Amino acid sequence: MSLEHDNDELKKLEHKPHVFAPEGDFEAPAKDTVPGPYYMAADERMPELEADEPSMQGAKLDSKGKPFPVDRRDFMRLFSASAMFGATACVRRPAETAIPYVKQPIDQVPGVATHYATTCGDCASACGIVVKTREGRPVKLEGADEHPISQGALCAMGQASIQGLYHPERLKGPHIRHGRRLDPANWDETFAQITDQLKGKTNVAIFTGGSTGHSDEFLGEVLEKLGSSKEHLYTWESNGLFSSISKAHELAFGHADLPRLELPLAKVIIGIGSDFLEVGTSPVYHSKGFSLSHSYKNGKKGLFVQLESNYSLTGTNADKRHIIKPGTETTSTLLLVKSLFENAASKGSPAARENIKAVLDKHASSLSSAYADVGVTKAVFDDLADKLLKEPSVVVAGGSSNFDENATLLQLAAIMANQLTGAYGRTLQFEKGWMNSPVKSGDLKRFLENADKFDALIVIESNPAFSSPDSWAVEKALENIPLVISIQSFPNEVDHFAKFVLPNHHYLEAWGDEQSIAGVWSTRQPTVRSTTNSRQAEDILLWILAYMDKSLPYKDYQAYLKEKWRAIYEISGVRHDYDVFFKFVLKRGFTGSLASRTLGDLKELSSYFDSLPKSKSGFVLLSPLDYRLQDGRGAHLPVLQEIGDGLTTVAWDTWLAINPKTMKKLGIKQNQMVEVTSSAGTLKAAAYPLPGLQPDTLVVPRGNGHKDERSTISNNNGIDPLTVYAKKSDPLSGEPVTSLQEVQVTPTKEWYRLAATQKQNDIANRNEIVKKYSLAKAKKIQNKTVDLDTVPDLFPKLEKAAHHWGMSVDLDKCNGCGACMVACSLENNVPQVGRDQILLGRTMHWIRLDRYFYGEIDNPSATFQPVMCQHCNHAPCEAVCPVFATTHDAEGINSMTYNRCVGTRYCANACPYKVRRFNWWTHKWGTMGKRGQDRNPRALNPDVTVRTRGVMEKCSFCVGRLRDAKHFAKEQGRTVNDGEVKTACQQTCPADAISFGNLNDAQSKVSKERKNFRAYLMLGGDPDHGHYGIKTLPNVNYLAQITHDEPATGFGKQQGHGHSNKGH
Amino acid sequence: MLHPFHSFFLVITLLVSSHAYSWWMWTPGDHVDDSTQSMIGQGYHPDQPIPFSHKIHAGDRQIPCQFCHSSARRSTAAGIPASSSCMGCHKFVNTDAEPIKYLKEKYDKNEPIEWTKVHDLPDYVRFSHKVHMQAKGDDGKLLLADSPDEVCMACHGPVKEMGTAEQWAPLQMGWCIGCHNQVKTPAKDGKPAVTYAPVSCNTCHY
Repeated sequence: MSLEHDNDELKKLEHKPHVFAPEGDFEAPAKDTVPGPYYMAADERMPELEADEPSMQGAKLDSKGKPFPVDRRDFMRLFSASAMFGATACVRRPAETAIPYVKQPIDQVPGVATHYATTCGDCASACGIVVKTREGRPVKLEGADEHPISQGALCAMGQASIQGLYHPERLKGPHIRHGRRLDPANWDETFAQITDQLKGKTNVAIFTGGSTGHSDEFLGEVLEKLGSSKEHLYTWESNGLFSSISKAHELAFGHADLPRLELPLAKVIIGIGSDFLEVGTSPVYHSKGFSLSHSYKNGKKGLFVQLESNYSLTGTNADKRHIIKPGTETTSTLLLVKSLFENAASKGSPAARENIKAVLDKHASSLSSAYADVGVTKAVFDDLADKLLKEPSVVVAGGSSNFDENATLLQLAAIMANQLTGAYGRTLQFEKGWMNSPVKSGDLKRFLENADKFDALIVIESNPAFSSPDSWAVEKALENIPLVISIQSFPNEVDHFAKFVLPNHHYLEAWGDEQSIAGVWSTRQPTVRSTTNSRQAEDILLWILAYMDKSLPYKDYQAYLKEKWRAIYEISGVRHDYDVFFKFVLKRGFTGSLASRTLGDLKELSSYFDSLPKSKSGFVLLSPLDYRLQDGRGAHLPVLQEIGDGLTTVAWDTWLAINPKTMKKLGIKQNQMVEVTSSAGTLKAAAYPLPGLQPDTLVVPRGNGHKDERSTISNNNGIDPLTVYAKKSDPLSGEPVTSLQEVQVTPTKEWYRLAATQKQNDIANRNEIVKKYSLAKAKKIQNKTVDLDTVPDLFPKLEKAAHHWGMSVDLDKCNGCGACMVACSLENNVPQVGRDQILLGRTMHWIRLDRYFYGEIDNPSATFQPVMCQHCNHAPCEAVCPVFATTHDAEGINSMTYNRCVGTRYCANACPYKVRRFNWWTHKWGTMGKRGQDRNPRALNPDVTVRTRGVMEKCSFCVGRLRDAKHFAKEQGRTVNDGEVKTACQQTCPADAISFGNLNDAQSKVSKERKNFRAYLMLGGDPDHGHYGIKTLPNVNYLAQITHDEPATGFGKQQGHGHSNKGH
Repeated sequence: MLHPFHSFFLVITLLVSSHAYSWWMWTPGDHVDDSTQSMIGQGYHPDQPIPFSHKIHAGDRQIPCQFCHSSARRSTAAGIPASSSCMGCHKFVNTDAEPIKYLKEKYDKNEPIEWTKVHDLPDYVRFSHKVHMQAKGDDGKLLLADSPDEVCMACHGPVKEMGTAEQWAPLQMGWCIGCHNQVKTPAKDGKPAVTYAPVSCNTCHY
C-alpha cells in the first residue's frame, strides 16, 4: 500500500474499512491478558505480595490508611478561593506599581537574563554551572558547556540547589543559644560574644565537609592565627569513597588522590558494587563518559557488567548483572584479579605482577574455594577477564551500598585488577589530571579521638551529627565541647550543640574555588546579593579574628582568593594584566590545564590482605546514599523529595527494599512495616519488593529521617538507617562502616502506604511502549530508515511552517538519574504536592520517569523511559476540550492555554500517555501539608505563568525558551539553528539522551534520529507491519534500547499485532 | 436574628451569585462598550508621583521614545527609565520646578520613584516589546510603521500629545489578533508560510 496520499487517496481509504477497524479486538479483555516480558512492579508477577490489609487497598487513603478528611483547613482553602474570585472579578485589577532603578547598572536590562559562571557546591565533584539571573535573582542553574566536569549537564541535586537558596527556613541572621532557646542577635553582638568566649583558648578545631580548593588552606591559616594548629582542621565527607579510593592509592602509589575515570575510552566496564552513575565520586562526569562509551553507535556498543548484591541505579544500566552475596565485593575483585593474572594476555610491569602474585599466593587456597561463597562461578570470572583484556577497559569497584570495613581493601583489589588490564594511563588517569580528594582519610575518627581536648569547635557546612552512624556518638562528643560554633547555610543537627548558630552564604552567594581535577581550577562567584542576613563562613572567621585583634592581612575571602590566584596566573602564561585575567576566569568559570606527574611502580600490598573477607551470614542491611538526598543534605529540598527514587519510584519516604521471594518466604506483604534489629539498634520501615536484590539483603537508603525541627520538608520524613549500625570502621582509611550490617528481620502488624508513583501509569499489558533490539539484530538493520509520520488517516495535513518541533529520547542512553524531572520542575514552576497528594495520584511532574523491569524477577533488567507530553499531531486531548484551551499550533506544539481552561479534565482522560496534570489546589511552597506558605515569587521563573487551582497543565516543549530563541534568531534575520535551543530536560541530561529540534530541517539531529532504524512512537504500533497503533502521531519519538543478549520476543498475547491490515 | 450558621450560608450564597454575575458580565475579546470600559482599562489614566509630560519631552522637544525607554528594543519590557536617566538632563535643566526638586530629592536619597503601572497585561500573557520593535517585512523595512517612534505609537497611541501616560488601546486579545492576522502570508509556490506574526495560543500564553 502506498502511504503517499492526497485527498483522493484519503477518500479511497475511507472505503477500506479494515484499515481503520481491524477484525478482532485491539486489546483483549483484562482477564485474558498474559503477562508480557515487561512489568512495573514485583506484585504484577507475584500478586501474593499485595497487601491484604484493607486499609492499604483503597485508592483515597493516606499513608496510614485513613481516608483523607476534608478538614477545616481544606474547607477554608476552598472557601477563600471562591470568595476571592467573586470579589475581584467585578473591578479592575488592583493598580500595580512599576519601580525603575535609581541608577541603572550598565549590564542590567529589565527582562533580559544575565548569566554568571560559578561552581556547584553541593558535592565534592564541583561541576561548573551557569546561573541564569533575572533582575539580579538566580532563577535556573545549568551545567556550563565548556566546563571539563559538567560538560553542560547537571545532576538532580545540583539543579535543585536553587531551592536551597530561596528556602524559607534558612536562618535570617545570627543566633545565640540561651539554654534550649536560640535567640536572634546581630552580627556585632555575636562577634563580640564569640571573641569573649574564645579569649585565651587555643585548642580550637574546625570541622568541614572539605574542599579541593583554597578553602582548606585558608582555614589552616585561621587555625594558626587562633593559636591552634593546621592539624585541627578536620575534613569529612559522608561519601566514604573519596577516603577509601585515595587511601588505597596512597598505599599503592604513594599519592592520596583519586584516578580520573576516562570512561569514553573504555569499551568494557566491570563494576563491582559500584555506584559511579548515581553517587560515586563525580556522577555527572561519569554519566557523560558512560553515555559516550556504552550507548549504541554505528553497530557498536560498550559492555558494562556489574557484580552487586544491591540493585543500584548503576546496576540497572548494566548489560549483565551478576548477583553476589553481600560482603563479598573484595573477594569477587580478587577472584577477578586471579582470573586476569592467569590470563596470558594480562598486562602490568614485572614488579607490579610480582606484588599481585604475592597477594594471590597468600590466599591461594581460600581464593580457589571462594567461588561458592561469592555465588559466581570461575567460568564467569575467566570470561570477564578475557573481555577486559581484549579492549580498553576498566574495573570500577566500591560504592556507598557496600562501604564496610573492607572498603579500602576493595579499592586495593581494584587497583590490582586495573594494573593487570592496563587501565592506568588509559581509562584511569592518575598521572595526568587525576582527581583530588576533598577530604583527608579517617578525619571523623581522628576528630572523635581528639574531641575531648577541644576548647572550641567551628563546624562549617557539615553535618556529622546526622550523617555518621549513631553508634559513633558524634552528638555526645559535640555536647562535651565547651564552645561549638555552627556556620551552616541551612540549619542542621549540629546547631543543637552550638552556642552560636551563624548563617553561612549559600554557595550561589559566596566566593570560592575548587580543583577537583588536578590543575583545573573552577571558580565560584556570588550570583546574587545575600538573600538573608548571612555572611560567608570564611568572612565570618576573618571578622572573628579582627575582633580578637589577630587579623589576617585580607580584607575578605575574595581578596584572599585573588591573592592566591596570582600563582595560577603566573603559570598560565597569560600576558594581560592580572585584573583582566581574574575577570576573564570568573566569566569563563574555570582555568588551568591538567597537572601531570610520573607514577612509580605498585607498592607491596600483600601485608594489607590479612584474611579474605567472607560473606555475611543471615540478613544484611545495606544503606546506600540516596542519589537525590545524598547523606541528607538534599532532604530539605521538596523538588528532590518529590521526584522519587528511580528504581522504587517511592517519593517523600524511606522504604525497606527486600527481594520479593524473600518477602514471600517471610510472609511480608508490600507496605507492611518490618522491624530490623541489629546489635546497635532497631528501625522500622515499610517493605517494598524490589526484584533483582540478592535474597539476603535489605536496603534502606540514607538521606531521610531527620528527627529535629530542621525543616518542615524533611522533619519526620522517612527513616535514618544509620541508627542500627554498630561502631565499626575500615581499619585502613578509618572511615565509619555505613553499610553491610548483619540484622534480624521481624514483620510487624503495622502498615504504611509508600507513595510510589509507578502504578499510577499502569502499562496494562500494552505493547509498543518500550522497545529493545539485540545488538546482532541492530547490526543487520542499522541502515534501514523508518518513516514514522506517514500514517493513513483522515486528518487534514498540517500547514507547513518554518519549524516543526520534535524530540527524540534515546532509551539506550537514559540512566534514570531524574535530573530532567528537577530541571523541568524548576524551569516551568511546577509545584511540589507532597506525599498525600501523590498517594491520590496527583503528581504534577511535566516529565516523569517510568521504569520497566524486564525478565526474571530474580535478576531482571530495567529500562527507564522519560515520558513528557508527546505533542501528538493528532492529539486526542485537543478534540475533547470544550473550550479550546488546548490547541495545536502550526509548529507542532500541543499548547495549553491556562486562562482558557475551565478544568473539565476531559483532556486528561483522553490522553493515552497520562501526561496531563491537573491543579487540584493553588499549590503552596513544598507541599500541601501543614503551615503551607505561598511560593516565593523570587524563586519562580518569571518567563512561565504560575498556574492556579482548577487548571490543567503539561509539558509545553519549553515554549518560552523556543520563543526567546526565535526572537534572537529573528533579530539576526535568520531561523533558529539546530542545537541552538534546548529544552530544560535536554539541557541538563547528563547522559545526552534527549535531542530536540526542527523536524522540518532534514539535517537536524532530531529529524535524523526520527528516521533512525531504532525510532518508534510510543503506542505507535509496528509501522513495518502496517499497524499504526493509536495513530496519535506524536512529535516525540523514542530510540529503542540495544541489548547484548537477544531480548525475549512476544508481548504476552499478541493483541492487534499483524492482523490490522490483512490482505495488504 | 440569624443563627451564625445560617448567616454563613447566606454569605456563601451571595458570594457564589456575585461570582456567577461576574462571569455573565465579563466578555472576552475586542468588544468594548461603556459597561466593560473600566475592566478593560482603555482610557486608564492614573495619577503619577511626578506629573511627567510626554508632550513636552517627546512632542515639543522631539526626544525619541527609545532615548528613555531604551530596553524596548532589547527586552520583553520597555522599561521605565531609571532616575539616573532623568538626572542626566535635569541636573541642569529646569532645576527649579517642584517635580524636578522631588526627583532630585529622591535621587539623592537613593530612593526610586514608584510609578503606577498603566499598561498592565494579565499575568498569563507574555508580551515582548523587542520583537514588535524589530518586526520587519520582506523588504527589510519596519513592519508596524515607518519610524521607531511610530511603531511605539501604533499601540500606545498619540503619546506625543499626552501628559502622563494613558492607556490608549483596549489591549484585549481581539485587538492583538486583529493585527497579527494581517501580517501573515500563506504558503505558496512550495514555500512555507511566513508568519510574521503567529496567531497560535502559545505565542502569548505559556
